[in-house]
Amino acid sequence: MSHKTLVVTQSEFMRRVTSKTFILTTLLGPVLFIGFIVAMVMISVSTIEDTFDEQFSTEPLRIGIVDETGVLGTRIVDQGAGEHVIVLVASGSLDDAMINGEIDAYVHIPPEIITTNVQPVLHSRGGSRYGIRLALSETIERSLKDYLLAQNNVAPDVRAILDRYVQVESLAYNEAYNAERQVSEETRSDDGHLILGGILGMLMYIGILIYGTLILHGAMEERTTRVVEVIVSSVRPFDLLMGKVLGIGLVGFAQMATWALMLVGATILAAPLVELFIDPAAYDLPANASTQEVMAAADIPLPSISPAILIWFLLYFVGGYLLYGGLFAAVGTMVDSPQESQTLLLPVMMPIIISIMFMGTVIGDPHSQLSVGLSLFPLTSSVPMIVRIAIGGVPFWQILLSYGLLLGSFLTSIWVSARIYRASLLMYGKKPSLKTVIGYLRTG
Amino acid sequence: MNSLVLQGVTKSFGKVTAAQDISFTANSGRILGLLGPNGAGKTTTIRMIANILTPDNGTVTFCGREVGPWSREEMGYLPEERGLYKKLKVNDQLRYLAALKGVKSQDSASKIEYWLDRLGLTEWGTRKAQDLSKGMQQKIQFIATVLADPQLIILDEPFSGLDPVNSELLREIIAEMKQQGRIILFASHRMEQVEQLCDDICLIANGRLVLSGGLRQIKKSFKRDKLVMEYEGEVPFLDTMQKSGEIQILELRDDGCVLRISEDCNPRALLDRVLSVPDLVLYRFELLQPSLNEIFIQTVGGQR
Repeated sequence: MSHKTLVVTQSEFMRRVTSKTFILTTLLGPVLFIGFIVAMVMISVSTIEDTFDEQFSTEPLRIGIVDETGVLGTRIVDQGAGEHVIVLVASGSLDDAMINGEIDAYVHIPPEIITTNVQPVLHSRGGSRYGIRLALSETIERSLKDYLLAQNNVAPDVRAILDRYVQVESLAYNEAYNAERQVSEETRSDDGHLILGGILGMLMYIGILIYGTLILHGAMEERTTRVVEVIVSSVRPFDLLMGKVLGIGLVGFAQMATWALMLVGATILAAPLVELFIDPAAYDLPANASTQEVMAAADIPLPSISPAILIWFLLYFVGGYLLYGGLFAAVGTMVDSPQESQTLLLPVMMPIIISIMFMGTVIGDPHSQLSVGLSLFPLTSSVPMIVRIAIGGVPFWQILLSYGLLLGSFLTSIWVSARIYRASLLMYGKKPSLKTVIGYLRTG
Repeated sequence: MNSLVLQGVTKSFGKVTAAQDISFTANSGRILGLLGPNGAGKTTTIRMIANILTPDNGTVTFCGREVGPWSREEMGYLPEERGLYKKLKVNDQLRYLAALKGVKSQDSASKIEYWLDRLGLTEWGTRKAQDLSKGMQQKIQFIATVLADPQLIILDEPFSGLDPVNSELLREIIAEMKQQGRIILFASHRMEQVEQLCDDICLIANGRLVLSGGLRQIKKSFKRDKLVMEYEGEVPFLDTMQKSGEIQILELRDDGCVLRISEDCNPRALLDRVLSVPDLVLYRFELLQPSLNEIFIQTVGGQR
């Protein structure tokens, strides 16, 4: 790296890190983050307790049942409908009761439901209500099954058999297994790693977007302040842009390092919070059970992040950031204002948006041709590859190839930006068309 | 002795030739004025000297070596299109620009202090550039140009936006740097400034060098064809002379006149004739050297 790149890097870093905006966002970021964590914890806890809809309707609703079967009504009342109250069971229409305001909604159960797949219908005021439909579907289904099983004199042990369930768990082997016939701890794959992969992918996407925008503005700065000609008489555009991308990258690194430290504090805070919502007794655990035991019992996956995943995450984050930094810089060198950059940003953003769109596909089948292709192609590789690495079983050569391509593209992107930068000096205030951009590349 | 030599320098952008076959030499301890109408190719030429652009043909050598990344640290360039980082404090700004020119941070502090003091801006060092007036910003830009003690200083319209007091201060500093044996390139449209400051001039029009050399020699090479007279009384034969094409009356006042004399007119004979007019008191009879402005218009006009 040239000496001048270092000078630019240092200056870009220092002037941002000492700015009020940086200090403010760095300090306020975690406040928002903690808020986010608390909200996530509350939502996941309530999901576990099957009261998802309570988050959305604060008041329990009064529900009526029009039971034309004559047999399901009482069973349904016995089962209840979540936190909603079943106030009326009738065999005729309840339209009047609903209009009077006696009830908020009623469900009509046709007699044919006993023998055929005819479905009950929920009548309600003020739009359809997903929460109640969910609760009632479950209640009515259970009541119907209970009734039918009882009708057919099914013995309790048979009922127990019907209640059994199977969920396939996963154990993924890597290439080392072929040679050593041993499954190492890292090769274990579970749902926790899927979620981890998703979270890491999203984090990367958000990070690249936020700091990429900073680079876009940074690359415009010399042109908008007209200091550009003095600068390019002192430093090569390549060194300048490289210094900017690195300097702003370090700003992001410093910010995230600060946040990581604060996050440690935040998780220490968040864990007891979860315990407030989960009663250890509900999971047959002693009252003094540790947070992790409680979380595990409550089925909240807490994957242990292996150092290898963490390192690859950082490397891909840095690589993806650098490449997109270079591309954002290229856009920044072509425009004189952020408004002008909009049309040029879309094609630049497209690949990363595609990689996010396909995240589900990659999680679903991390070794399909599409997943491998996406994780090798430099413009899309960062997010899918980290998802795949988190899930496990990616051949090492793929990681090396993908990372090599990523770094190579980064250098190319800076080189291209530098050429545009030098050439666009000659055209103050002109909007670049695709044709002029290609012209820049040839003549720059 | 250091020198900057351009030899047959040519640069085109697509079909437009911005500079064609430009050659001149700038020597240390002298100020070279780069003149030319708008769009003549001055900035392109300067950019090739500053190694921002590379010539398609020809060479730019500085101290006997072709310019390149190495020469950037030896040159200070104040472009016409100039600015500062708005949000950056003056001190930080100058330290950064100096560092890009290869000045070590321990050296730059004392230099910044010296120059801020010299230009009366000491109290402004800790302020952001956007808080400074336009004139102050101009002075900061000038400091940035000379901070690294460059051997070649390129100043493109350095006086624009400066009040007379600050212009004078800047002129003093430029003269001082000339004394120190640096090469100074001075580009401007303002002919009186060029005339005051420069030892040599290069006139560029339509991408070509149309006139170059020492300012005095150039002025000498242009005929003294402008005549100023001051007198009391009246010269009766001016009209007849104009009709015969010997002179052209440029200005006629109560106390004198300004004439352009043609090839057919002998100034000596004219003086005799004027002196022989009865009752006329002649105070002044002077054949003027053409001003740079006139040379400029005459030469560039001839080009078109």
